[in-house]
Amino acid sequence: MDWIETLINGALLGALYGLLGLGLALVFGVMRVVNLAHGEFIVLAAFGGTTLASLAPSVNPLLWILPVALLAFGVGYLLQATLVNRTVRSGDPLIPLLLTFGVGVVLRNLMVEVFGTDPRALDGGAFTQAGIEFLGLRVGVFPITVLFLAAAMFGGLQWLLAHTEWGRIVRATSDNARIVRLMGVRPDRVYNTVMGLALAFAAVAGMLLALRSSFNPYSGVERLLVAFEVVILGGLGSFWGAFAGGIMLGIAQLLGQKFDSNAAALYAHLLFFVILVIRPTGLAGRAS
Amino acid sequence: MKALGLVLLALYLAAAAAVPSLLDAGWMTLLSEVLLMLAMAQMWNLLAGYTGLVSLGHQAFIGIGAYFVFYFSDRLELHPFLLLPVAGIVCALVAALLAPLLFRLRDAYFSVGIWVFAEIVYLLATKTRELGATSGVALKSMRLVDTETFSRDTFWIAALLALLAVGGVYALIRSRLGLGLMAVRDNELAATSIGIDVWRNRFAAFTISAFGCGIAGATYFTGSMFVSPEAGFDINWVVGMMSIVIIGGIGTIEGPIIGTLLYFGLREGFTAWAGVSGSWYLVAMGLVAIAVMLVAPRGLWGWVREHWGWEGFSERRTPPATLLADGGQP
Repeated sequence: MDWIETLINGALLGALYGLLGLGLALVFGVMRVVNLAHGEFIVLAAFGGTTLASLAPSVNPLLWILPVALLAFGVGYLLQATLVNRTVRSGDPLIPLLLTFGVGVVLRNLMVEVFGTDPRALDGGAFTQAGIEFLGLRVGVFPITVLFLAAAMFGGLQWLLAHTEWGRIVRATSDNARIVRLMGVRPDRVYNTVMGLALAFAAVAGMLLALRSSFNPYSGVERLLVAFEVVILGGLGSFWGAFAGGIMLGIAQLLGQKFDSNAAALYAHLLFFVILVIRPTGLAGRAS
Repeated sequence: MKALGLVLLALYLAAAAAVPSLLDAGWMTLLSEVLLMLAMAQMWNLLAGYTGLVSLGHQAFIGIGAYFVFYFSDRLELHPFLLLPVAGIVCALVAALLAPLLFRLRDAYFSVGIWVFAEIVYLLATKTRELGATSGVALKSMRLVDTETFSRDTFWIAALLALLAVGGVYALIRSRLGLGLMAVRDNELAATSIGIDVWRNRFAAFTISAFGCGIAGATYFTGSMFVSPEAGFDINWVVGMMSIVIIGGIGTIEGPIIGTLLYFGLREGFTAWAGVSGSWYLVAMGLVAIAVMLVAPRGLWGWVREHWGWEGFSERRTPPATLLADGGQP
């Protein structure tokens, strides 16, 4: 029973991991940009959440998720419009990567100066503690909610891309940014909304993770690594692959914790490394 | 150009020889750090700038080199300085073993693959009691060391490593191998079609950069007489190397030199003189990196080259006169 519980909890944690990678996968899939500041934006959203929660202590922090996500959308839109678009135009993928690296360094150290390095967490109250018994298994209500939220966001994004006008434009821009110009589409504007959306997903993931475990300004690096592992396990640009990759990592993490409580991440990393070596293009990627 | 190079070399050697008698221990430690960082940045630049492989895991080699020296100098009763080159060779071997696995990965996959490798080594180090686990180890072989001359010798080793890194990369990129590397970076398909062995070129650059980072990391931690997993396998090593290289100019010899001067200039300027604590210099460094990527994506030296036409330590070579005389167009 113990083992089944670990597997279930691992899968639930993995759904959250998948969400960490969703924005990264979206940005890479559409504009071939590897956003090295992704982890910092995840942490920044969590700091936004704790700040709002301390300003209005009577409000349940879960209610702040949507406003923070909207704010993150605006930040992403502006980031893309003012900085990243200029480097995407160069055609050399190394330049936006190095640019977002600079953005990450600035954000991380600004957060150190503004918020300090003490670990923080969001307190979700009774909801995050509650659990339900089912066939003798105890599973948290909050992780299940996260699973549904994550599945809804993955599914929602997939639906948006597959069935809406906006989705067609995004896919067309991703295929060939030059040709869509002939159809009256401005690739820059498409990229702006895509980056906004990606950071909104990152913000939701950051808030949810802050409700689970503590963070500090340096956590962004770990978050980025998890997001990367998820995305690459799934095959860059594949959303459902990322979801599956997240769940695998979550399970590996909690099984690792069971074997060896002080190096849980080691087993997740080893799993990632082994899979990457066996299948260099990820689970959902085409075999090379 | 050759004469200028020799003059610069002579000046550098003279300065390195004079520093220990002119400056106090604090300055010498700082200069050692500057020189080692330059060597590491140059090694990262060799890989990223000349082969296009962006490594986010070079801290692995720094940590492995340091731990190797700490452990074996104590075990084998050897002076730690003697083991520094061996640490480099060990790191090159690790890189050689990793290469067949990592080279199957492209672009971002490679970057993350090597980062995860570094994390695995880091976590293993925190679990190994022989190496002091999470709390780290002191340099036990200090008992074999003459403490009077220790910091001076460390400085000289750092000075030598920086010189070898800069000179070595310069010689390398002007060699057949270097030309092959750049051809692969610029157009892999075209390079393959003229018979360049892509895999072997990358392999050489990767092992050399691991070798250099291994020695430099081992020297840094030997000088500080203490290493812990947190410090040895710190991602900030790569953050530093990367900042330095991209600001100075990726894929140039001068770039890392300029970047290193700017990095430490900002750090010391902010903390020592302006009295601004902690992380503000990193904020400034990040802002400079952003500005450089927007205005001059080839870095400061790349901009100078483009606008002022300075060549410096260029990889460009003039064809032999006989070839020109035969009617070949330069």
